[in-house]
Amino acid sequence: MSMQLDDDQIEIIQEFVTESRDMIEQLEPAIIELGQNSDPETMNAIFRLFHSMKGSAGFLEFTHLTRVAHAAESLLDLIRNNEIELLPEHVTLFCAACDFSKDALDAVDASFSDDEMNVAADTISAQLHQAIDGPATSIEDPEDSIANIPAAAVPSEPAPVFPELEITEEMRTSFVQESGELLQNAEQGLLNWGEHPEDSDSIGDIFRHIHSFKGNCGFFGFGHLEKLSHQMENVLDRVKSGSKLAVDNPTEQLLASLDLLQQGLNNIADGKEDFIEDLDSHLDDLKNLMSPLLGDLLAEEGVDKLAISSAVEIQKKPVGEILMQQGSATAEQIAKALKRQQESSEEAKSKAKPVSRSKVPAKRQDIRVELGKLDNLINLIGEMVIAENMLIHNPDLKGLELENFGKAAQHMSKLVRELQEMAMSIRMVPVSGLFRRMIRLVHDISVKAGKKVDLQLIGEETEIDKTVIETITDPLVHLLRNSLDHGLETPAERSANGKSDKGTIKLSARHEEGEVWVTIEDDGRGLNRDKILEKAINKGLIDGDGSDLTEKQINNLIFAPGFSTAAQVTDISGRGVGMDVVKRNLEKIKGKIDITSKLGQGTRINLRIPLTLAIIDGMMVRTGTTTCIVPTLSILEAYRPEMEQITVTPDGDELARVREHFFPVVRLHQILNKKPDSEQLCDGILIVLEYQDSRFCLFIDEILGQQQTVIKGLSDFIGTVPGVSGCTILGDGGVSLILDVGTLVESFDSKKELADAALISKGGK
Amino acid sequence: MAEDLSLNGSDNEDTQKDKYLTFHLAGEDYGIEICYVIEIIGIQSITEVPDMPAFIRGVINLRGKVIPVMDVRARFKLSARDYDDRTCIIVINVDATEVGLVVDEVSEVADIPEGQVEPAPRTSKNSDNSYIQGMGKMNNRVIILLDVHKLLFSGDMQRLLQNDGDDE
Repeated sequence: MSMQLDDDQIEIIQEFVTESRDMIEQLEPAIIELGQNSDPETMNAIFRLFHSMKGSAGFLEFTHLTRVAHAAESLLDLIRNNEIELLPEHVTLFCAACDFSKDALDAVDASFSDDEMNVAADTISAQLHQAIDGPATSIEDPEDSIANIPAAAVPSEPAPVFPELEITEEMRTSFVQESGELLQNAEQGLLNWGEHPEDSDSIGDIFRHIHSFKGNCGFFGFGHLEKLSHQMENVLDRVKSGSKLAVDNPTEQLLASLDLLQQGLNNIADGKEDFIEDLDSHLDDLKNLMSPLLGDLLAEEGVDKLAISSAVEIQKKPVGEILMQQGSATAEQIAKALKRQQESSEEAKSKAKPVSRSKVPAKRQDIRVELGKLDNLINLIGEMVIAENMLIHNPDLKGLELENFGKAAQHMSKLVRELQEMAMSIRMVPVSGLFRRMIRLVHDISVKAGKKVDLQLIGEETEIDKTVIETITDPLVHLLRNSLDHGLETPAERSANGKSDKGTIKLSARHEEGEVWVTIEDDGRGLNRDKILEKAINKGLIDGDGSDLTEKQINNLIFAPGFSTAAQVTDISGRGVGMDVVKRNLEKIKGKIDITSKLGQGTRINLRIPLTLAIIDGMMVRTGTTTCIVPTLSILEAYRPEMEQITVTPDGDELARVREHFFPVVRLHQILNKKPDSEQLCDGILIVLEYQDSRFCLFIDEILGQQQTVIKGLSDFIGTVPGVSGCTILGDGGVSLILDVGTLVESFDSKKELADAALISKGGK
Repeated sequence: MAEDLSLNGSDNEDTQKDKYLTFHLAGEDYGIEICYVIEIIGIQSITEVPDMPAFIRGVINLRGKVIPVMDVRARFKLSARDYDDRTCIIVINVDATEVGLVVDEVSEVADIPEGQVEPAPRTSKNSDNSYIQGMGKMNNRVIILLDVHKLLFSGDMQRLLQNDGDDE
């Protein structure tokens, strides 16, 4: 395209580029689907894409693009007419063609010419034509796939399908992220498959994940990772095609390899090389899984079977070399085998490269954004809500008739509210990722501890703030370890106690009372009250014999640092650090922990996590000159009490009667150390509040109104304040405390004791 | 009323050296290093927070941010004084923690070269000395230079917060 382009043409080209890109984006998942079920509709859609791209590219004289599109179209046509059977490598080829098209479109976008794609176009179209001409050797062909194996030992150079790309820091980061996800998915699949080995779908999934991972690594030139993942892929391929492996269940071995990949990936994330320790020995381990098949290959070449089995013993050296030394194989036989190995390794390479850029099929489209930017956005929106409040409820506007302003203000409020909800949802991610990581953990520990366990995940779709998820990961790990190691009994012990020998651990998440509750529940032996007390007394954590302690107080003792009732420190737990970590991390996010336990029946640990930056509906209340916010969620009713509804016990506790029930009265002014309008209960208002199962009445002077409030944390400098969960900024710019219904009672009780003590000492004087 | 000093930036490191924001408190002159100061605002309504030591007056809203306010008089156990229109809140940022300091009156930004700073006198009588970074001499005045880290995070402070939290 040497001619000068005028504006019109540029516009046409740009339109072509955008359109084609969109189509490719849509079709990539479809192509991958094609590999699983060749639905004629999908096939036609893909055909249409290549066809129309060919047409437009031809019209615009992008010859290379036309060439590839044409070849892809021809191949598809043959498949569509059942002249060629659709093979997995065809799918890979189409992906490659898509990737090529994308690159070509990028080139076109930049320079209005696809000339630079010359080499790549040659490669791709050659492959496509090859596929059209002779049906490519099927991957299921056992001989060929076996020949694949040694290929991994030979470091395969990245095939030159793509022009040299400079790897930026950004690409590296997104590589690490993407690959991390792939590994996670693969791990998930492996665990699944370990439980249901007959499920051939999951093995296909694992294969695809590892395959994409390998591709990614090859693209970035991370040799170690690529080698290891390639070898895993080989093993998986064997499993997929139904062949026997050296071991019945390679899950453990593969999981170990996955860990190594993750480790290498971590190194990359740290900016280091992808170095994996003892790579060769791991590769050999994997290879050993398949060694019998390697022997079979050579046996087919006429090599003595005995010689092969002895060669298998000496796996370190290239098999061919050993056999030649032993005189069991001729150089010709080896050369032939090597040639086949070479061919299929080429094939593997061409197969690996293209898929590297195509993502795992995903229905929704994601864009990765730096978390800092998101935080800024959310903070800004939070401030906008406050600013909006200050504007609309501006004191200057008081008493003015402003009809149009009112309308505009209402409209803006609505928009701001929507914006806020949107912003909050951005930060929220489902807990499924976190939960699924635990499957692996539970699997590993249960194997190690020799216990049978069934992990149930409930409410995986529950969304929690991303930073909260990060904070509760460690606690969850510790809690699960504890449940498995201390909570659940051994199968023998369980059977003896009349339980099924498989223990159950339930991990659930749900929204409740404006919080997120993450619960870990096991049906193990439960917390042993006596054992805990004994330990606590030994450690000097409590005074006396502990008989005056409530169930809750005793259970809470297990959170003390260094506290462990385990008789023995195992490599899983028992050092007494875990629960302290749990407590600390939860305090960081102002979460709470409830433990309920029944001896012999199990333990239930509930992590109550606040939704950060949540807006809550709040009732603004006043006592004296102070205004506070009470979460509307906890309010049952409010009323002005009559004298006869109040009963004072001899202890000085006030009880208010609400219909048939008596509830204790909590005076807000005493908690805040303020002077109310009147100390008389019947001059003020009682709000009946509910917290979990307990109810109480909060005494205030007046209810000012209801409003949506943005929760802001009190500064870290202040720390946690009993009775207060945070604060909010009011329309007039003032700060108002948000009351924490859960700790309000405790706070009031301690205040009252103090006041009573002061009264007594005063009286004494 | 708000007066943004906007001196907080790494490129201003040199120009901030040896500069102190000085303020009056119960007849004495105090100074804090200018690099910690974010801005000075007039006294505004402070929302009290229960269960705090007396010198934590509560929290204020600084353009959407909620920051705690410390009464420096109460911190040094000096007699309380009503806030008036000269009372200021100096907002400082120490290790990413923003805190407002209530002082009687802000005076000026003074240049006190290192040579003019004497080490803090160690009298065992007054434990509050630990907040003193040095004594700055300026003409014939003496300026008590405060160590903001200790002012905010000293063990004493932690203990006070802890005690108040536990006892009440």
